[in-house]
Amino acid sequence: MYLGGLVRKEFGRIRSNKRTLLLLFVIPIILIVVFGLTTGVGITKLFTSAIITCDDMPTYDDFPNNSSKYDDTFISIMQYNTSSWDLYRYYNATNSEEYDNAYHNCYNFLKNGDIHIIIILPANFSESVENKISPVLIYYIDGSDLAAITAIEVAIQEPIALFRAETDMIANFTMMVPYLEFDVPFWESAILNYAIPIILPIIILGTTINLTSLSIVAEGPLPRMLVTPTAKREIILSKLIANSVIMMLQSTEIFIMISFFGLYSLGSLFYFFLVLLMIGFCGICIGLFISTLSPTEQSANQMYLIMFIMIILFSGSVLPLNADLQGVQIFINLLPLSNAVPLITDITLKGLFPNLENLFWLNLSSLIYIILAYIIYMFKKLEV
Amino acid sequence: MVNVENLNVKFGENHVIHDVNFIVNQGEIIGLFGISGAGKTTIVRVLTCQIEKKHWTGNVKVTDLSPAKKTNHSLILTNIGYVPQLELLNLYFDLSPIDNVEVFTSTYGKNKKEAIKIAKSLFKILDLPEDTWNKRVKHMSGGEKKRLSMAIGLIHRPSVLFLDEPTTGVDASKRYDILTYLKKLNQTLNTTMFIITHDLESALICDKAAILREGKLLEFDTPQKLISSLPSKGLVARFTVEHLNEKLIDYIKKFSAIKTLLRVGNEEIEVLMDDFEENLPKLIQYMIDNNIKINSMSKDFASFRRYFQIRIQEEEEKEKKFKDSEGD
Repeated sequence: MYLGGLVRKEFGRIRSNKRTLLLLFVIPIILIVVFGLTTGVGITKLFTSAIITCDDMPTYDDFPNNSSKYDDTFISIMQYNTSSWDLYRYYNATNSEEYDNAYHNCYNFLKNGDIHIIIILPANFSESVENKISPVLIYYIDGSDLAAITAIEVAIQEPIALFRAETDMIANFTMMVPYLEFDVPFWESAILNYAIPIILPIIILGTTINLTSLSIVAEGPLPRMLVTPTAKREIILSKLIANSVIMMLQSTEIFIMISFFGLYSLGSLFYFFLVLLMIGFCGICIGLFISTLSPTEQSANQMYLIMFIMIILFSGSVLPLNADLQGVQIFINLLPLSNAVPLITDITLKGLFPNLENLFWLNLSSLIYIILAYIIYMFKKLEV
Repeated sequence: MVNVENLNVKFGENHVIHDVNFIVNQGEIIGLFGISGAGKTTIVRVLTCQIEKKHWTGNVKVTDLSPAKKTNHSLILTNIGYVPQLELLNLYFDLSPIDNVEVFTSTYGKNKKEAIKIAKSLFKILDLPEDTWNKRVKHMSGGEKKRLSMAIGLIHRPSVLFLDEPTTGVDASKRYDILTYLKKLNQTLNTTMFIITHDLESALICDKAAILREGKLLEFDTPQKLISSLPSKGLVARFTVEHLNEKLIDYIKKFSAIKTLLRVGNEEIEVLMDDFEENLPKLIQYMIDNNIKINSMSKDFASFRRYFQIRIQEEEEKEKKFKDSEGD
């Protein structure tokens, strides 16, 4: 008898909490719509390739004819027929000098993240197909992303299958073990170093957002400060400064600990540390934004959770994202992890200078969040 | 010290304060009394620069500065102190009293050492035990927190101190202690004090009482003068009547000299009359003649509580009559 009343009370309580209802029913829809727009609309081109064909080079194997008929077919399939591949560029190398130049270009594409794989079609490619001998496929993969290596090895089967169907080929390809570029060397801690680009930003963002997301909403005497000569902008600024100092100490501690356990970095450790600070600063700005926007501690906690889910989900590290819509791409760029992961990967595993576009978006997002926090706090009605 | 002339506050169509006027001199304690929604807090929020000028009109000066000018806000806020109703809104519970002093001193840009010296002297006036000064506030008793909160409001030596419900949440015996401490601070520091309160006992320490109802200032004078304005200078007769009910009350009210009759208990009434000394024996006789059994009777001056009750009741009756006449 009492249970019925208690259940009704619970429903009434949940119904009266608009924010919880929003969290339960509206936010998942928004997330799924954004998720759909970034992953499920149209053909998803997951990987990009560059091909160097050496098929025009003479082969000294024991074949009756010298042929270069089938490399174009493979290239065409890669360009037009596959659902998961994009062809970024292809080179026709007729001698070793052309091959070297082509490989040099492709290596740079791979390093800059323009492509995921370099496929080499050997000099005897067409001859092997014609003579029903398994043609050899050599390829180089960007080894900086451990998860992508396996995915690429599976995805490469698609153009091979299409090629075999197109050419009525019975023999299968002989797949060489892929050459990995920019991977963690075997003598370094592979798990740690592959995890660093994603784990470090998550730790730093998670802790800094947590540090600041309650800093305004949960500080009881803060509204009373406004009955002193203290201005609202001074309150926001003091929070920003103090929390940034704490974040710097935390980032230094993390940096030292990671180095202690075997950080492998081809690039500058100074840039690496600088990027860690920028990620932490972005976390503080997001935390302050949440804290100014939330009317209660409970809603700040709810917003923290939602924000963190979005940051991880749309980072591009959990699943490859392909946003066709400009707005969705901007939304993804304003989430710090989508810039933080490539920045750290570029520095540690590729030895690159931090990507300026990623740096721009990371710092722009910090600026936007802190400006929003300031505006919201200025207009927030605070009564003692 | 504080001048308020023709103050009107409007939030959109909602007119919350109507033509309020009063003048407060240095060192006075002013009690702002009224039921919820009377406008006490709104007036204080105007005086403490918490309401934007677009919402109010009138000539208001706090420490000779007008809150109408945004450039004056910083100076006004330096000259005033504020003690919120809840200590949670005024104190950092995880810090010690001394640390709290340092935090709030920095908001006024005052010298830390000097502020701590002032704070220690305030702690002594307020009898805050010395062994609590460096312990976390959360370990202090409710009364100690309340007194610390008052001290924090005074660390920058403000000319005017606003206290929001200083006796709320304090048990009856401690309430008088709080009021005594406030009076002590007022006398020692000569600080002008505004006390926003529902607690009518606070009038005991007030130099002037402001009675507000629905945004209108009904009275502003010393509590003694207000009480004296009642019939027969506030003399009341208190009767304990056996089996008191509404019918009996209506019957007693028919005695022509009675100006006001209030039921103040289950079997108790208080009566105010013109020519009190002359009419009291007649009233007693009237009650006896009409078989109204009087168990006890006493004579006293009305308290401020009674004055407030009568004044609000008068206003309500006036309003009711006005509405009835409009209805006709």
